[in-house]
Amino acid sequence: MSHKAFFRFHWIGLTLLITACADDPVFIEHQTLSRVGDQMEWATQNHDDKDWDKKKAKLQGGEIYWTRTKIDILKAPEPLHPYGIRPYVYGEYEVFWDGILIGRNGNPGREETLPPEGEMFATFILPTHLTQEGEHLLAIRSSVYYFPDHVGMRVDINHYDDLLTGRLIETSYMHILAGAFLIAAFYFLFLFLNDKRAYPMLIFSVSCFLFFLLNLAEFINTYLSIHYSLHHIRLEIIGILTFGISFLIPLYLSMQFPFPRRKAFLIIYAGILLFIFMVKHDLFDFTARNMALSMWLFCFGIATHGALRKKHGAPLVLLVLLLSLLINFVISFDIGLYVGFSLILLSMFYLLSIRIRQQRIAYENSLVQSTRLRLELLKKNIQPHFLMNTLTSLIDWVEEAPKKGALFIEALANEFDLLNQIENQTLIPITQEIALCRTHMEIMAFRKEVNYFWEEEGIDPVEKIPPAILHTLLENGITHSLPAEDNSVRFKLSYETNNKGKRYTLQTFAFNVREGKSGEEGTGLKYVKARLRESYQSNWDLVSEPADHGWKNIINIYS
Amino acid sequence: MNILVIEDEMRIAKRIERMTKDILGSRLQSLTHIGTLNEALNFVSNNPLDLVLLDLNLNGESGFDLLSTAISGSFHTIIISAYKEQAITAFEYGVLDFVPKPFNQERLEAAFGRLTGKEKSQTHSVKFLAVRKRQRIHLIPIEEVLYIKGAGSYSELFLVDGTKELHDKSLEKLEQLLSDSFERVHKSFLVKMSEVKGLNVRSGSKYEAELKNGALIPVGRTRVKDLKGKWV
Repeated sequence: MSHKAFFRFHWIGLTLLITACADDPVFIEHQTLSRVGDQMEWATQNHDDKDWDKKKAKLQGGEIYWTRTKIDILKAPEPLHPYGIRPYVYGEYEVFWDGILIGRNGNPGREETLPPEGEMFATFILPTHLTQEGEHLLAIRSSVYYFPDHVGMRVDINHYDDLLTGRLIETSYMHILAGAFLIAAFYFLFLFLNDKRAYPMLIFSVSCFLFFLLNLAEFINTYLSIHYSLHHIRLEIIGILTFGISFLIPLYLSMQFPFPRRKAFLIIYAGILLFIFMVKHDLFDFTARNMALSMWLFCFGIATHGALRKKHGAPLVLLVLLLSLLINFVISFDIGLYVGFSLILLSMFYLLSIRIRQQRIAYENSLVQSTRLRLELLKKNIQPHFLMNTLTSLIDWVEEAPKKGALFIEALANEFDLLNQIENQTLIPITQEIALCRTHMEIMAFRKEVNYFWEEEGIDPVEKIPPAILHTLLENGITHSLPAEDNSVRFKLSYETNNKGKRYTLQTFAFNVREGKSGEEGTGLKYVKARLRESYQSNWDLVSEPADHGWKNIINIYS
Repeated sequence: MNILVIEDEMRIAKRIERMTKDILGSRLQSLTHIGTLNEALNFVSNNPLDLVLLDLNLNGESGFDLLSTAISGSFHTIIISAYKEQAITAFEYGVLDFVPKPFNQERLEAAFGRLTGKEKSQTHSVKFLAVRKRQRIHLIPIEEVLYIKGAGSYSELFLVDGTKELHDKSLEKLEQLLSDSFERVHKSFLVKMSEVKGLNVRSGSKYEAELKNGALIPVGRTRVKDLKGKWV
């Protein structure tokens, strides 16, 4: 993740336009010279510092050392708008400008005896009369008791107001993002709580929360003064958070866009991250950048693989990753990381909205489908072929043999009653389904004057089955069969279970008059399949084909 | 009269047979019942028939295949079906009547009445005439037929494009089916009235109907008055 980290002078309109406008600098900083020891005349402008060290001072801890830096002020400040100075220096120190003490941050040289005082980034006013155009001398008298090897040498000079507000403005923008991350963390957590299998949601929620914390940790020193001795704690926290995020985001993407040998890749990646995290641990910025770079590369790989496999949403994530790379070329790493992740967050919301829409459509479709199936079930006994033929036969029985006619009416009433009971259910007890089949056979016996026989084997009475599917297969069997020589048609229903699931077999023993694969599927089979799909999604299959003895239907329901 | 009942519901077939016997009495020569499509097709092509009583839904198969074969035959077809919505199509194919289920003896009697010409009123117009050509059934749109000439037990259809086709039905049977648009102008001719341009008188008070395409059709002396009344 390449970046240009060092023009962080001033940010305006940061996240809205993602444009950075750096003011022209008002000063030039010359070579800083340093010397261990303590003499007050080292503060003066005309002290001869030829023999001073150009390198950073090497300290034991707690002793006083001085730095002297020539500074050219390029442009005098406007009246009533003084310049300020902010040294990026570890330790407690006093600041001299042209030999005059202009500020103190803590108690240099007395850190061992006095409690920690001062803050990490102190800002001091430069008196207006001392900031005329031309050469000036900045001398800093400091001690670094806690981290003697961390000697800072850099300063920033600008309008005092801007120095104070610049980072506040930046922080306020970044905290808007932090709020978004916090809300997103809760939102995805709730999504997970409502669907405990949705681990990607949980991971995304945690990532959002870590980003929220990272954002706080990164910018907390703007409004909370931290002593330099505690600064490394903040950096540790940032490091750990970055480590967590760098692992979780690729993990999340790997769940969204799975790829072969996912676990192995993730373990290797975790190893690489851990190596980066440990090897130059004290170089916090370096470590964070390397971890972020690894994360970006891994994510890019996952998204590319997903996009090639035409995974839904992968191209969008890929685009966002490229965009975040572009942004990191333009703005600093700290901010680029958040903007990049915000973009990923936005893309996640977009994908989520698409998924919610798909779920809604699927739900609506399932409602329509259920209603349609219900209607089809209701229609079974009022569709003209059944009803009118039944009524014609019924009239005939009533006219010719009224007592039999009455039995016929009872059978019909039975079937209507059973259909009414199951009308709005998606699963009914197998015993009810068998009862339905039996009354239907009774009715058909009156109509066709054929002897229908029903046999069953291995039926488990507690089992459930979608309504009227065996009934439909039975209807087909009756319609497409001619009775055997003894004027009978036999049906046999058997039930088996094995480790794969359950199996119903309905066999017809008769002369079959339907062709095997007619290509066109009848409405009956369509109904049966739709019912199976409704209750078992794709975990079923149906075979309906001719057999030596007539016809056989096999319904497999997989567990 | 030789009648075939094609019906896969035994109880209904028995009902039809019983009522047919009641209605026709001694006029009935033979009555056969068949329950499957293939047997029926076979029977139709090998036996002389006067009437087929056909159910349009046999063992789950559509009866329209059988219907187009049936209507090309020399016999009349009466549909007995549970699907009332098929009635219009059936009439367009040229069936004599459509009896919806459930039916009673009166309704069946009325259907037979059409057969003997007592009830001529056709409520639906025939859209096609089915002719058998080289073992295949061709549906000829009724708009293409100009006039029909009787030739013994079959008829000749004269078409708009100048060709003619043979139809297995007699002129009498076709007259029953086409009574709304065709007129029997001669004992051997049925003419589509919308095609007649004028009525010519020849010497010996012979009359001829002149069609729009110039064809001249003889008009029977006894039918002239009737025709004039309709045509003027």
